[in-house]
Amino acid sequence: MMQEKSLATTLKALLYLAPALIILVVFNIYPIITSFLMSLYTDYDYYHDIVYRYGFDNFLFLLQDEDFHLALRNTFIFVLGVVPASITLSLFIALLLNTNIKLRGFFRTIYFIPFVTSVVAISIVWRWIFHTEYGLLNYFLSWFGVSPIKWLTDPKWAMPSLIILAIWKGLGYNIVIFLAGLQNIPEHYYLAARIDRASRWQRFWNITWPLLSPTTFFVSIISVIGSFKVFDEIYALFDGRPGPVRSALTVVYYIFEKFYREQEYAVASAAAYVLFLIVFILTLLQLYIGKKRVHY
Amino acid sequence: MQSMRMTKPFLATMLVFTLLLMTLSACGQNNPPTGSSSSSDQTKTTTETPAAEKPENESIVTTLDNPVEITFWHAMTGHHEETLQKIADDFMKQNDKIKVTLVSQGSYGDLQQKLTAAAKSKTLPTMSQAYEDWITEDIQNNLVVDLNPYLENPTIGWRQDELNDIVEVFRNANNWDGHYYGMPFNKSTRILFYNTDYLKEKNIDVPKTWDELREAAEKLTFEKGGKKVIGMGFENSVGTEFSMWVRQAGGKFIDEETGSVEFNSSEGQKALTFLRDMIEQGIARLAGEDGYMSNPFGRGDVAMYIGSSAGIPFVAQAAEGNIHWSGAVLPKDKVAATPFAGTSVTVYQSATPEQRLAAWEFIKFLINTDNTALWAKETGYLPVRYSALQSETWKKYVEENPVYGIGEQQFDAGFFDPRILGINAVQTALGKEIEAALLGEKSVDQALEDAAKAAQEAIDRAKERAR
Amino acid sequence: MRDALSKGTIYLLLSLGGILMLLPFAWMISTSLKPANQVMVMPPVWIPHPIQWSNYAEAMRVAPLGRYFINSVIVTVLSTAGELITTILAAYAFSRLQFYGRDILFSILLGTMMVPGEVLLIPNFVTLTKLGWIDRYEALIVPWLASVFAIFLLRQHFLSIPKELSYAAKVDGCSDGRFLWEIMVPLAKPAIVTIVLLKAIGSWNAFLWPLIVTNSKEMRTLPVGLTAFRTDVGTIYELLMAASTLVILPMIILFLILERYIVEGVSRAGIKG
Repeated sequence: MMQEKSLATTLKALLYLAPALIILVVFNIYPIITSFLMSLYTDYDYYHDIVYRYGFDNFLFLLQDEDFHLALRNTFIFVLGVVPASITLSLFIALLLNTNIKLRGFFRTIYFIPFVTSVVAISIVWRWIFHTEYGLLNYFLSWFGVSPIKWLTDPKWAMPSLIILAIWKGLGYNIVIFLAGLQNIPEHYYLAARIDRASRWQRFWNITWPLLSPTTFFVSIISVIGSFKVFDEIYALFDGRPGPVRSALTVVYYIFEKFYREQEYAVASAAAYVLFLIVFILTLLQLYIGKKRVHY
Repeated sequence: MQSMRMTKPFLATMLVFTLLLMTLSACGQNNPPTGSSSSSDQTKTTTETPAAEKPENESIVTTLDNPVEITFWHAMTGHHEETLQKIADDFMKQNDKIKVTLVSQGSYGDLQQKLTAAAKSKTLPTMSQAYEDWITEDIQNNLVVDLNPYLENPTIGWRQDELNDIVEVFRNANNWDGHYYGMPFNKSTRILFYNTDYLKEKNIDVPKTWDELREAAEKLTFEKGGKKVIGMGFENSVGTEFSMWVRQAGGKFIDEETGSVEFNSSEGQKALTFLRDMIEQGIARLAGEDGYMSNPFGRGDVAMYIGSSAGIPFVAQAAEGNIHWSGAVLPKDKVAATPFAGTSVTVYQSATPEQRLAAWEFIKFLINTDNTALWAKETGYLPVRYSALQSETWKKYVEENPVYGIGEQQFDAGFFDPRILGINAVQTALGKEIEAALLGEKSVDQALEDAAKAAQEAIDRAKERAR
Repeated sequence: MRDALSKGTIYLLLSLGGILMLLPFAWMISTSLKPANQVMVMPPVWIPHPIQWSNYAEAMRVAPLGRYFINSVIVTVLSTAGELITTILAAYAFSRLQFYGRDILFSILLGTMMVPGEVLLIPNFVTLTKLGWIDRYEALIVPWLASVFAIFLLRQHFLSIPKELSYAAKVDGCSDGRFLWEIMVPLAKPAIVTIVLLKAIGSWNAFLWPLIVTNSKEMRTLPVGLTAFRTDVGTIYELLMAASTLVILPMIILFLILERYIVEGVSRAGIKG
């Protein structure tokens, strides 16, 4: 089956790829190219498709736009805050859910629920959890003598609040993917390990972790990409504003604002291009690390 | 193994993307602009005199021989949508040649996104609800129809007194250099909401000036049965309504003609200091995590607040069973100044001459005396005609629901925000800086200076872009 | 003894996390049964008094949920089925076939995931206009018939299926196609069910796209119907939550059906304490 590549195998592969490729080229790659081109429009008529001049002005604008710098900084903080914690937690929960406990199905359903709950319900409940006076979180913290924190109205706390919400919201998604990955590990490895009287930790470290690595690799790449594109959570948590004093402004929020509110189409495209390059380089890094760690 | 082999292609892909951009940009500069020269001339009209250079004197169709269909995009939902549909149905009964299709496009934000997509793909509807600053942008892009030829036409137009019957502040908001590109439809205003129980308890009259407002807020900040009541509340959008406070202090906001930012003045400082001091003293708060002020006000956490008249039903709902409340005209400082917000109706150039005529007929019907009164009564928006305000229906309604009568008492003090290009970026910057000052992150002077600088830059940039 | 203890810890941890997961859901259900003046009370009222079932009737009256429901089903079923087919074929090519430009093509596809959808909306709208698909099922379905995310996920699973299997199949004279559908696909069932689930939910809950590409009520889907309860100055939460509950019920049922497939192998894997 693993033939050397040749014209024949390439043609065959193209046949397999054609259905997906046609859709992706028309609805993903083509619009991506046009928007990247638009990042170079410096004098243009958007609605009549006329470009008078090309150049790098939009990138220069981003270079000196404080809002964009703020958005970049916030996005990095967000990614660093969310991705490692989210992956660790969801892997941990997936492992718990994969054990042979009673009510397993019941728990799985519960962890899946946030996934389908209306975003409005989620945002309102979290706004209540974070509420300074009436919120659940400050109530718990008060047991330990912590004075009320203004989670959503203090610019210093807006980003931590957003990170907490995002970790919570991403859990179910990652857990479902991890669970599927765990099912792919053939049982005979565990049987062998049991015969060897390996401890639970040894079994995890020597069997589960290496054999789950393709899934972990996948989840980490997807999470990094997804976190860089964070938008919905902000919209929900801060009620359509990027946090107090724009303290939760991220790059995609910036792009959204420029594109749909300020008619700065070219600047928005340039910002999208910058975001693309950043994520691209980081994915490269992940692939480099992954090559050493992932076992297929 | 797989991933290692992927590393190099990744670099290659990136290189390809970059090179692609470079080459395309390089050859682009040498190429003459594509597209016909006539359309590029048209799009080159400037902000200051959009109408003057436009060949908009072509004759219009004034009679309909054949049936015509028009679409009207809007952001009205629930009962508002039902009422709009009723008016459209009545219209179609009287005009059997015209079929009006109403399309709800979600929220205003969704509608704006949809209009952008439609304009880009040349599939705009015949007409739509639109804020005046959207229309400004649309005039710039040559997308909307000048309504003057219809308005001035002896057979289908309005007599001067019919035009003047439209409330002045709304009329002016839709007039760009003598040309009407829209007509007011659903308009709301800011009013002062207050808790009648608390005011009675503390024996306070409804504040009419800033000083009285501060005094009342101080007295109304108290403990009530273990609950901390705060005297005054502001919506989270207090930054974008800063123009109101500056004007009340006697200052200027932004000059619509020249686009020069004028709020960084002693009046601006007075206004921002006034707001900041109240919050710093703890006698005022922002809606913050509660989203809209109607919620904390309704549960009695806040004694007074300034908010939109369109929010009256939500205040009523939140207050039910908790508090008694009423409303009043806004307090003033040097002068009274009240912003009027809400959308107008505009017609797009993509419409055929017959559709434009049908749209004009529908606009006339939509805001005639009876219908604007009906609309206001059913939705809580303001009637847009003086004659409607005088009508028996409306007078009776206001008698029963006095808070709905507050809006019209402020018409003389009414103003609308400058309809300049870049106003959204201005509001964003302003909102950020004002909030920073109110939360104590920046000094008043610094915030105003930064806001003025950012606002001026945004306006200049938008002007530059439009040229 | 040690087992019982660790089991107890597992239950405790799962339950604590579970409560946090369930809170918004509980709030949604509870709000859907509240009279208006109990909705935005702080701290929240969890058990409405009185319980107001009429919210559901009112929500159904305000929005034509019936027609929207049919559209949602059509769009979800077709786009999920379509995506599954394109995904299986592409993932197979990327994981088991050798061809020129494979890795660079895969990188390009991964790259497309890094561009925020916000900038693609309008170009895609223009494309659909040119195709004449606006306000038709095609616009709701066709652009979503392939997903890089799903191809990537399935590729990872295919890669972790031992290569020895392919050699064995080859020896047996099994054709590529048969090998894919009869060996690879069944072996990757947990991943495939996951893809179906994630896609179905995504498609069912999609809001902005269906709103943008449709105009008539006859073509709109359930999430668009939810806009009926929102205005620019506030939201009618009790009706919105009643309608939302109706909207998500089918997805919960779908999960209950598919859940057993995702975790089919658990008893076999048998990681007992």
